[in-house]
Amino acid sequence: MKRSVLVALAVIVAVAGALVVLWPRGVEAQPHLAESAQLRFVLTPATTRSGVNSFDLRITDRAGNPAPGNEVVVEPAMPQMGHAIAPITAGPLEPGHYRVGDVGLFMAGQWEITVSLSAERVVIPLLLT
Amino acid sequence: MLLALGAVLGIAAPALADGAQSGADLHVAQTIGDRDLTVIIRRVAEVPGPVHVDVVTHAGSPPGEITLTARAAGAATSTVKVVLGAAPGFYSGVVQVDRPGPWELAVDEATIPFVVPALVSSPWENATYGGFVAAGLFLFAALAFAVFGRPRLALVPTAGLVAGIAVATTAALLSPSIPPVAAPGTQLDPTFDNVGDPYQRTSTVDFSRPPVNLVPSTVGDDLVLSLTDGSSGRPVDDLLVHDSAFMHLVVVSPSGQLRHLHPIRTAPGEYRARLRASEQGTHAIAAEIARRGGGVQLLRSSIDVSGTAARPDGGRADLRTDIREAGRPSTITAGFGRGDLQPWLGMLGHMIVVGPVSGSPATAPIWAHVHSMIPPTPGMPDKPDESVAAYGPDVPFTYSFPLPGKYLVWIQVERDYSVVTVPTVVEVPAGKGVSAK
Repeated sequence: MKRSVLVALAVIVAVAGALVVLWPRGVEAQPHLAESAQLRFVLTPATTRSGVNSFDLRITDRAGNPAPGNEVVVEPAMPQMGHAIAPITAGPLEPGHYRVGDVGLFMAGQWEITVSLSAERVVIPLLLT
Repeated sequence: MLLALGAVLGIAAPALADGAQSGADLHVAQTIGDRDLTVIIRRVAEVPGPVHVDVVTHAGSPPGEITLTARAAGAATSTVKVVLGAAPGFYSGVVQVDRPGPWELAVDEATIPFVVPALVSSPWENATYGGFVAAGLFLFAALAFAVFGRPRLALVPTAGLVAGIAVATTAALLSPSIPPVAAPGTQLDPTFDNVGDPYQRTSTVDFSRPPVNLVPSTVGDDLVLSLTDGSSGRPVDDLLVHDSAFMHLVVVSPSGQLRHLHPIRTAPGEYRARLRASEQGTHAIAAEIARRGGGVQLLRSSIDVSGTAARPDGGRADLRTDIREAGRPSTITAGFGRGDLQPWLGMLGHMIVVGPVSGSPATAPIWAHVHSMIPPTPGMPDKPDESVAAYGPDVPFTYSFPLPGKYLVWIQVERDYSVVTVPTVVEVPAGKGVSAK
């Protein structure tokens, strides 16, 4: 009886260990923060997989108030491939909050997303798997 | 547990096999005499064995016969003649290789260096399989001891069994994180030694090489390009195939006609390409090359050509342009009507940008080569070859023109085995006070 309990415990420990080691890990879609001289940009991608993506953008000034402006431009590029795709322009959902949809990031790897609002520009790195 | 490990191994093994050797097809565009050919050296499955070579001809290529010869260390091993028909398309030949190592494929007077990889299993694969085999043998030994009434002695092989499984599991689990070794052919100069023993580590960590000097000259109709090392002055004979050619040579005539040629290697450090029906005057030339060890270089020069004919670039496309001020990304989309474009040089389209032009293109400060990429197909790691005529019709390009002014732009795609060149002119406005970063 004792032995069977020990064996069962050992099996459980082994399976749990294997699960911890072998469980596939993805990169979670985290908000990316970048600051320019006057503004603070927070970009959250919908996914970190390659393919059609969309970005949620919150742009505030240094004090945290929504940044004025009516047009944000997103310029995705992949420096390693020497390749850029067409810039995408989006209007605000509400002051300081933008949604940039239908961004075709078709290749996995390190992308550079340049975001500009009027004269302020930031470059946000984005790793896709 | 063992089944799970087997699954992990099954996934890990092919990824490792790809890591050390590039076992893919080699596509090389070659301007041989009056023909524009693409030579495809298919991956070598076994050594000694056959190497399948496809020669792709393009529209306007004269029919005739070419000779393919495989050579190792200067000695020819097999020769085959390939008859090229009048219709553009694929023509095949098979040559034989008898050992792994650095080889040369001679296509008439052009020589294409390539590496025949050795099939060598990696040390971590050996540890994994060896560990499992040892564990199996120890298991039998332990059983034998138990059956023949020596249960205490059976403990010894049991310990060996556990150790064998531990070694195999550790090697299998850690193998994906072992950094790849420097590959002969792309980072190291290939020799018979390092191709045969690819897992030997070298102390070199920086593989980059010095810049290259380009000296053009003309011999008859041929443009001869001499490449020498910028540090030693020796001939440069380590060009890699990048974007499907050893060298992308763009020649712009005084009147703004473009040619995109792929010179052939005729000797170490010597490349040549034929300039058919050239125009009189100073031609701007620019060569894109990649040396072994990484990094692409653009070599610009100019050359005086004596000639008479001016051949207009005849291609047409429906161009939609969205030109922004200098420093910001502009978009040019060429519509070609039907979706039957073929990949050319591994890309959907090429855009050559020269400017801002005031006098001769030879003095233009900016020279760029923009690509429109083929959308990747899931589950197809190899890039499609030219027989796949299924792309387009829209070919988009995005480029940030760095300076304001007038640019000469050419868009090139392939259709029906013929390269279509669409010339256009783009005016880029100056920045409107936006910080150009």
